[in-house]
Amino acid sequence: MGASMKDIKGRIKSVESTMQITKAMELVSSSKLRKAKERAENARPFFNILYETISDLSSELDGTETIYTAKPGKLPTLYIVIAGDRGLAGGYNANVYRLLSEQPDYKGAKVIAIGRKAVEKYAHNPDIEMIGEYPGLAENLKMPLVTEITNTALRLFKERKVGRVKLIFTQFVTALTQRATLLDILPLSQIKEKRTYSQAMNYEPGPGAVFASIIPQYVTGMIYGAVTESYASEQGARRTAMESATGNAEEMIKNLSLSYNRARQAAITQELTEIVSGANAAQ
Amino acid sequence: MNTFKLQIVAPDKIVYDGEATFLLVRTTMGDIGVQARHQKLISPLVIGKMKVEFADRDPRFAAIAGGFVKVGDNKVTVVTTACEWEDEIDLKRAEAAAEHARQMREHSSSKQEMDRAEVKLKRALNRINVAKH
Repeated sequence: MGASMKDIKGRIKSVESTMQITKAMELVSSSKLRKAKERAENARPFFNILYETISDLSSELDGTETIYTAKPGKLPTLYIVIAGDRGLAGGYNANVYRLLSEQPDYKGAKVIAIGRKAVEKYAHNPDIEMIGEYPGLAENLKMPLVTEITNTALRLFKERKVGRVKLIFTQFVTALTQRATLLDILPLSQIKEKRTYSQAMNYEPGPGAVFASIIPQYVTGMIYGAVTESYASEQGARRTAMESATGNAEEMIKNLSLSYNRARQAAITQELTEIVSGANAAQ
Repeated sequence: MNTFKLQIVAPDKIVYDGEATFLLVRTTMGDIGVQARHQKLISPLVIGKMKVEFADRDPRFAAIAGGFVKVGDNKVTVVTTACEWEDEIDLKRAEAAAEHARQMREHSSSKQEMDRAEVKLKRALNRINVAKH
């Protein structure tokens, strides 16, 4: 029984040290979450209005104004995938991977990976072609890098190397709920039925110049917003995961302490029985 | 005077969301003024001054650093990369930024760096200009 007591004590110690780690990670992501959430919430109106404005605009196009409405045909899709830089965040990274692998045009797709985990996942994947790798972008979000991603995506689209550009990121719903989301960026989708407008859109100076200036801003804004959303989601997911890990560790320690006390009690009882029966035998 | 709905957004905040009677922005083709029931329009913006007039208070000026404006259905949206109202501009900081950009331009080694410094300088000068009014 003594050996078992020692075993249990060892296990309690190991669970305790794990709990210390998960607890510390929980605290770290709590404080990071607060900042990230604020940043994501500040960026959200811009993100939404930008998307609405462009959707609104594209619904009024008849398809002749710009190459950005070009039909995708059989060209591959470019996915801009945003995952975390670290693991231990519950299903955060896995949900992003799953969403991408569920896409019908996954095989043969081109990928720009943002976040170390996305880079690791897709760097040696034979199904897809890696176009760009941006590990560690979210934590230190720099405009020039986002612009670089935009330029790469737009170049591929303009050269007709890809027919569609889509964004996979994690939407920050609440600190407890995050949703992996797919967003169509290009081509600009047109309305099916022909709506009649009282007046035509006026492009100043002209459609070509307007789109050449607006589309890069649009794509950059979308990527920027998606990265801030994803980063907040990552922190939220990690905090939740670590919170439940800490809870589980506490539960385990409780159960182990119970077994430990039981084992100790049993050992004492046995010792007593031995002493008593020894004394009886000596009489 | 008739009003229209005006939304001005920057990546980090909503700058303005409400009614206005007049908007003046600098597009790539020059300054344009927008009043209620303006024709549908979309145009890129350059670094410059923006003026907004309201029905019930004094007009306000702002420094904006590019973006685009969309006018449609009595609703105007200004999407900008950065926007500061004249009273929010920190003149000292803007002057320091201009000085920094000037130095960057002097010491730039590539055309890219030079261009970036040039844009920074233009933004800083625009802010100073708007703040001094």
